[in-house]
Order: sequence, then structure tokens, then C-alpha cells
Amino acid sequence: MKKKWMALLVAACLVFSLTACGSGNDTTAGNTGKNASQATGNNDNKANDSGSNDSTAGESEATAAPREAELNIMMSFPQYMDQWETYCKQFEDKMLAEENIKVKVNLEMPSSDQYDSVLQARLTGDDAPDLYTIHSNNLETYYNAGYIKDLSSEVLAGKIYDDVKKTVTVDGKLMAVPIESQAWGVLYNKDIFTECGLTVPDTISDLEAICTALKDKGYTPFLLAYQEQWVPQLMTALTIGGKVSGDVPDWLDRMYKDEGSYTEISDIFDVIDVIMQNGTDRAMEEGSEAGSADFANGKAAMYVQGTWASNTIMTTNPDMNLGVFALPVNENVDCTKINLSTSTTVVVYPESENMDLALAFANYILDDKDSSALFQSCSFNPIANVHTYDTSSWVKEAYEYVAEGRSYLDLVIPSSVTDEQGKLLQEYYTGSVTRDDIIATLDAKFKEANELNK
Amino acid sequence: MTKHWKENRSLLLFAAPALILYTVFKLYPAIVGLYYSMTDWNGLNKEYSFIGVGNFVQIIGDENYWKSILFTCKYVAVMLLAANLTALTLAVVIEGRRRGKGFFRTLFYMPNMISMIIGGFMWNFIFTKVLYALADNYGMKFFDRSWVGDPQNAFAAIILVSVWGITGYLMIIYMAGLQGIPVHLKESAALDGANAWQNFTRITLPLIRPSLTICVFWTLNAAFQVFDVIFSLTGGGPGRQTQSVAMNIYEEAFTGNIRYGYATAKSTILFLIVFLLTLIQLRVMKKKEEEM
Repeated sequence: MKKKWMALLVAACLVFSLTACGSGNDTTAGNTGKNASQATGNNDNKANDSGSNDSTAGESEATAAPREAELNIMMSFPQYMDQWETYCKQFEDKMLAEENIKVKVNLEMPSSDQYDSVLQARLTGDDAPDLYTIHSNNLETYYNAGYIKDLSSEVLAGKIYDDVKKTVTVDGKLMAVPIESQAWGVLYNKDIFTECGLTVPDTISDLEAICTALKDKGYTPFLLAYQEQWVPQLMTALTIGGKVSGDVPDWLDRMYKDEGSYTEISDIFDVIDVIMQNGTDRAMEEGSEAGSADFANGKAAMYVQGTWASNTIMTTNPDMNLGVFALPVNENVDCTKINLSTSTTVVVYPESENMDLALAFANYILDDKDSSALFQSCSFNPIANVHTYDTSSWVKEAYEYVAEGRSYLDLVIPSSVTDEQGKLLQEYYTGSVTRDDIIATLDAKFKEANELNK
Repeated sequence: MTKHWKENRSLLLFAAPALILYTVFKLYPAIVGLYYSMTDWNGLNKEYSFIGVGNFVQIIGDENYWKSILFTCKYVAVMLLAANLTALTLAVVIEGRRRGKGFFRTLFYMPNMISMIIGGFMWNFIFTKVLYALADNYGMKFFDRSWVGDPQNAFAAIILVSVWGITGYLMIIYMAGLQGIPVHLKESAALDGANAWQNFTRITLPLIRPSLTICVFWTLNAAFQVFDVIFSLTGGGPGRQTQSVAMNIYEEAFTGNIRYGYATAKSTILFLIVFLLTLIQLRVMKKKEEEM
């Protein structure tokens, strides 16, 4: 009998321990955060000893022994680790030479799918990095939670292109240094287009004609890679953006006031149908990287994917003749526009112990002398007047649309709704939901997000 | 009385390191989690408010959550049968061999040593590339279907990979049980003219009951919290059609609206379900053990 109770007790403990993982994430994360902060604590004190926190500090102390300080930076793109490490080294040298400050930059790059949860744990665990990257769509949320410093009065503010600046401005305040900013639409294989004598489409009937022409020549028009939910989601990003900027400019505002509905923009599904019906097979089994590689090898002529995929494409097939066009939504040419968006941005933590250095680094990202080399080595697009390098042909092609005024700023839709769009499009492709289901679900999701963000 | 206490004290001391770690990293977070499940914390804001049972009331109407629970129950039921049958069969067959026991034991245990997230990605490659290569190049038309895109096939694929991953572990437990069966019982049964099947059902099965209890308990528990296999294999898709409860909770806590409090409430409910079920299961199976 006693044995039985022991067994029950042990069993109960086991169950408890297993489920605890689910509910306990936040607290355990907090604990690790505290450990880390102990490690950096010493240096924070040193920084305080040497005095003031304003951005001009240091110049007056030039003759004294170098002040020592640490700067913690967290970024979400490990693929550019080398480039940024070099850049941090340059920053350390520059600070020592010009300001007589011996800075040690600690650069962390968690993998991108864990980045958000790591960042949240660090911020709430009182172990915030001095600078960190976030997606521009999250700027407002993080600003409201008190995790972002206003950069409007910094030198860098005058350098950023106006179009790009708009994407990182909230309530008229400059929130962040944009890093990855792109003009993107649909990627297409220029060689195939030339061979078939095709030009880029302006309306949905142009697009349908292109599909027919390509199929006549034995090509598959669209490459579909829907295994990861963010890839089908790109279709809604492009079509909703185009439709809204051309036909219903106040749609998003009304959606945020619970006064709009997806029914108003339901013709976006016409073009989504065209893409899905003229695409490659086995879309659900195709990941985004595999899709880029297949597209580079000529498996299809068009691919709804951003210019960020160009790296994979050009590595797979260096001879690829890549182009970008704006996705038409309907017969209205005004809806056929390029998406101008900023994804990764760098922000400054407002309670940074080394505010002067944090701001110095933020400004150094757009340094007159060194910034160009950094942005070029990461193949980022130019975002400020200090960027003087030559860009690739497809980037230029996309920016031609921007120059003609045929672009819109990426719509900031609540991320729960964006995620839902990706999920629903997967189901739409496999046939388990209809247009009406999607519209109803998205309307409900949008209302729910509004409710929660009040 | 004092002697008893002394004994217990030394036992407690020996268990202390594990107990302290367990309390700090498992028990404490779980209890604090209970509090968070009654707040509207979003995992980010410094301020949040206590909303009582508000989260739990909202869960009642959360269709996606109940769908994911239903999916998980289906998964648990199939896994209980599939994993334990496979493991038991393997254990019996391998134990019955004269040679190469160690080799097969290692072979089947191997998948258990790989993290299931990696195992899942390996199988993802097999399902999305290798099988199609077989279908296209060697005419094996059976493989030419949407393995992760069709909910039915995806479920089969998930079960296959899960069984592959978990069987080795269960098999070892069953083997330990099998090795504990006295040889003379089997010998005398054979003398009495029992065939292999009778030998298995009348002698082996009753005597490995304790192993059966452990294995069923463990599968039940692990299957209810399945995450890694599905995450790496289908990502819960298409849409949410293969989403398990654990994934639903993860989605709520770390993506979209980032609702930590609400997600914690969901995991509290999951905990209660698992707790109740295992309690019942243990009671039933222990009773049977005692009857013998």
C-alpha cells in the first residue's frame, strides 16, 4: 500500500515536471538572464566611475588614461556575423583613437527563430542589451513598453533617405536605425521572359496572358514553396498592399477602428488563384531555400519572393538573369506597385548604462566613411545618403518603380493577423478553407488584435 | 521514531541536490506560472494586471485550442498502441535471438539518442525529397503523394517518426522486464506443452506488467506534450491541421499577440488533463498488477 502511494507521488512529480516546461518558460529564462547580468555588472560600474553619460563625454578626458567600458549588442542575423564583428572591431579602434575610450563590444547573435523569445527574456529579466535589432513592425509595441530610445535628435537622423525614414518613424519620432530595407515584388527569370518575348505585367489580365504564353512554351509560370508559412504570406503582403494603396487607401485605418473588412479587398484572391493554379507541384513540400534554388535552376519563370532571396539564387546559379516586377492585383494599374519595407532595424535601449557609447555606435552604423563597405558586404540596400556603392541590377529595377512613384510603404498589420494569413493560405492551397472562411477568420483575428492592443 | 527520522534525514540529504534543482527550476516556475495564468501579461510590458479567471473563461471559446487538444488526443491514442506494440514486439524478438542481441539493441535504440528536432528535420528531408526522388526515378508511385501537405498523410508521417524516435527507449524497458522472467517458468510451461503464443500471453505478459505500466505512463505523458517532431516535420501545417496543444501554447506565447498569461492558462489546463489521465491510468494498472 505504501509502495503504491510512493509510486503515485513519484508519478505526480514527473507529470508536474514535464508540464512545468510549458508554463515555466518565462521564469527560467529570467534566471539565466540574471546570471548573465552578473557577468557584465563589473564593467557597468567602471563606466559609471568615469563619469557622465552624455554623448559628448570623453573628449575632455582625452589626455587621461583610457576609460574602459563594455557595450552589449544583440542582433538577429547570424549569417552576417563576420561582417558585423569586423565592424565592431572598427568601432572599438575608432573609439580608442578619437575618444580615448577602451570599449569592448560584446556582439551576440542568437539564431533568428529564437531571437524574439531570447530578446523578450532579456528585456523583462533586467538584462537588456544596449543595442538590439527588431523588426520595424514591432517598433511601436516596444516603444510603448519603454524599450526604445527616441533617436530623432541624433546625427544619423539627417542621413536616412526620407522614404526609408517613414518606415521607422512612430508618432513623428525616429525609433531606429534601419538596416535591411528593400523594395520588392515578384522575382522573375529575365532569360525565360526574353525567350518568350514577354514584358512585365501591369494588370491581372497581362499576368494571365503571361502564364498562358509561358505554358505554351513548356515553362511552369510560378514557383510555389509553401512549406514555411511566411512564404505564402508574401502573396497577401503584396496584394493587400497594392490593392489598398490603389483602391481603398483608408482601409487599414478603418481596420484598426474595427470599421473595415477583408471583403472590401476580396479581389486579392483573384491573383492568388492565378498564382496557385499556374504553379509548380508539391508546394507544401517545398521550403523557401529549396524554392529559391529551384527557381535559380529554371524550374519556373516567376517566384513570389523578396529580393532577400537573391543571395541563395545567385549562389545556386551565378549566371541567373534576375528581375523584379510589381504584382498586379486587378485591372487597375495604380494597384500594381512595389512594396517598400524595412525589416531589421537597430534600436537603442533607453536605460543603457553607456548611453554615450550606445548612441555613438548607432551613429557609427551610418558613418560617412565606413558604412558603405558594411552595407555592401552584407548586400543590404542603400538606405542613407552615405551609401554610395553600386547595387545589383534587380535592386535597381525595383527602385525604378520607386522612382516612378509606383511604390507603397509596407502595411503594418498586427503580427497575429499576418501569421494567420500564412496559415490560411496554406489551407487555401490544400483546399480545406474557402475565400469566405479566410475573410471571416481574418476579420475576427484583426478585431481580436485590436481588442488586445487597446 | 527518532531512528526513523534519522534514516529519512540521510535519505533527504542524499536527494537534496536533485531536490533543490528540481524545486528551483521546475516546481517554483510551475507554481509562479499558476499566478501568471491569471494575469494579462504579454511577456514584455513591465506592468500587467490580475484578471482572475478571465483567461480560463476565454479558453472555453477558443476553437483552435480545442481543435489542437482533439488532435493531440488522437495522437496520444495512436501513439500508445503503435509505440508500445512496436517496442514490445522488438523486445520479444530481439530477446529471443541467440546471437546479435547487442547489435540489434543498439540499432533500435540509436534514434533515441538523436534529438527529435534533428530527427524531424532528417525525416522532413526524406518525406519532401527522397521519397519523390524514388517516385520520379524508380517508378515507386506509392510515394508520390503529399506527405506533409495533406493532413491525413501528415498524421501518418508524424506517427511514423514519433514511433521511430521513442521505440528504442521503451524497448529497453521491456527488455529489462523480459530479462527478469525466471527461465524455469518458461521451461516448465514448454514441458506442459504450451506453444509460443500461450507462453507469451500466460507467462511473459503478466510478468512484465510493471514495465508495461511504466511504458504506458511514459508514452501517455510524452505524447501529450509532443512538440519537436511536429514542429520540425510539418510546423503544425497545413494551417493548423496538425497542431498539437504544446504548439498551440507556443504560438500563443511567442508569436502573434504574444500573450504569456493566456498561454500559461492554456498550459495549466493541459497540465490538469495530463495529471488526471495519468493518475487514472496508474490506478487502473497498479490494481491489475496487485491482482496477480
